[in-house]
Amino acid sequence: MDGSIVIEGLSKYYNSFLALDNLSLKVRRNEDVALLGPNGAGKTTTLKLLCGLLRPSSGTAYINGANVAEERERAVSMVGAILETPEFYPFFTPDETLNYLGRLRKMHGRELRHRIKEVLKLVGLERWANVRVEKFSRGMKQRLALAQALLHDPPILILDEPSLGLDPRGMMEVREILKEARKGKTVFFASHLLTEVAQICKKVAIIDHGKLRAYDNIAHLKKKYRSLERAYLKLTEVTI
Amino acid sequence: MSEFEKLKTVTRYELLKQFRRRRFYGALAITVIAVILTIGLYKGLDLPRQMGAPDTPELFAIFVTSMSTIAILGAVFFAGDAIASEFERKTGYILFPNPVRRITLVAGKYIACFIATAAILALAYLISTGALLGFYRRLPGGILGSFAIALMLACCVLSIAFTFSSLLKGSMGATIATLLTFMLIFPIISTSLSYAGYAPWFMPDYAGDAVANTYGVPLQQAFGGMPGQRLRFKWNPEPTLSFLVLLTYAVILFQLSIWVTKRREMI
Repeated sequence: MDGSIVIEGLSKYYNSFLALDNLSLKVRRNEDVALLGPNGAGKTTTLKLLCGLLRPSSGTAYINGANVAEERERAVSMVGAILETPEFYPFFTPDETLNYLGRLRKMHGRELRHRIKEVLKLVGLERWANVRVEKFSRGMKQRLALAQALLHDPPILILDEPSLGLDPRGMMEVREILKEARKGKTVFFASHLLTEVAQICKKVAIIDHGKLRAYDNIAHLKKKYRSLERAYLKLTEVTI
Repeated sequence: MSEFEKLKTVTRYELLKQFRRRRFYGALAITVIAVILTIGLYKGLDLPRQMGAPDTPELFAIFVTSMSTIAILGAVFFAGDAIASEFERKTGYILFPNPVRRITLVAGKYIACFIATAAILALAYLISTGALLGFYRRLPGGILGSFAIALMLACCVLSIAFTFSSLLKGSMGATIATLLTFMLIFPIISTSLSYAGYAPWFMPDYAGDAVANTYGVPLQQAFGGMPGQRLRFKWNPEPTLSFLVLLTYAVILFQLSIWVTKRREMI
């Protein structure tokens, strides 16, 4: 299976509502790809399907060759993910949370302790390591979400609007963290913030109403439509 | 890493979660108050004399180890939100994308809830044992059987709570549904069957009453004057059969909760 993430004819119905319509695309190793689209386009559904949180109505998704539906544990072991706006157990501290998740990912002892310190430092939460999450702001929880996604140093990051709900400074900081953390990784992330996408990725998949409208380099789209914004508006059927 | 190691990890952290919650300590406090109140009223009102029965350790044990309500409430409070909250409070977005099977997650949560409930029941029985030794210098042999049935009753209620928790969207709904099922629906069925002359031996609430029926004193005699006296069928759950009935409910409903949770999507 060539490609870190391979999606073949993936569809998802919620009762009779078609949220994702026969989506096919391939993300190569160490590529950064953004999934762009308006609210309700099917971005989050795609990412949830890739993480095995939803069952596809039809089609298949592969993570590094592992079929997500049939080998879910093997597939997600290669992924670090932030989905929707994650919440943490309020009674745990970041240190305890990461210890729990790390152990579930086969990390132990000194290696785990060292890595927890490293990721907490990376996301700027080292001073909060032993404070219960119930006292955390939205931004701090988002940083912790990023820390847990990076904890096991996965080859693939799947991120659903990682800067959602953050103030401008928080958004900028998350982007900086991602720039540093994504080195040597495949990043597949959903967003509707064009500036964020342009800063992080070279390639975008634009979806609307569950259908793939374009999958191309940002440079090509800019050349064809004069700007990424125009490409996005044109392809998501909004008249300028 | 084997699935068993993951189960140990899930259990350990779920248990830590239970011990960090105020409701655990609230349940402990209520249990202590309930047991001490029962002992105080039994002795203070001289219940054996009022009942016209001899004051034996067996009769005392029947009163102070009637812990079915504690087992039910403990299990419901710890288990009602075990699965539903992962979906309702979105913590599942952090937990479920890990390489761990849902069956392991559910089993770990179940074991943790059981340990928390068992701790509360153990405290209640310890106080009762202390009181028995203090007042009568002797322990009735049936107390261990009573404790075993109380633990199995807790397992049965946990399984019911886990089933509702896996089916329903909200933790509160699962908690209320479990309470209503055990404290309203089951008793209506059991009592109706008893009045009709059928033995409700297969009902969990009836089987749960066997916690007080391990001392060789028939419940009918101990609680003379209760509605059971007028029944054609005697309210006298047999301990071994009751234990097996509770075990059957616990196993089947626990498996059902796993089956539902495995199929549940994070929408």
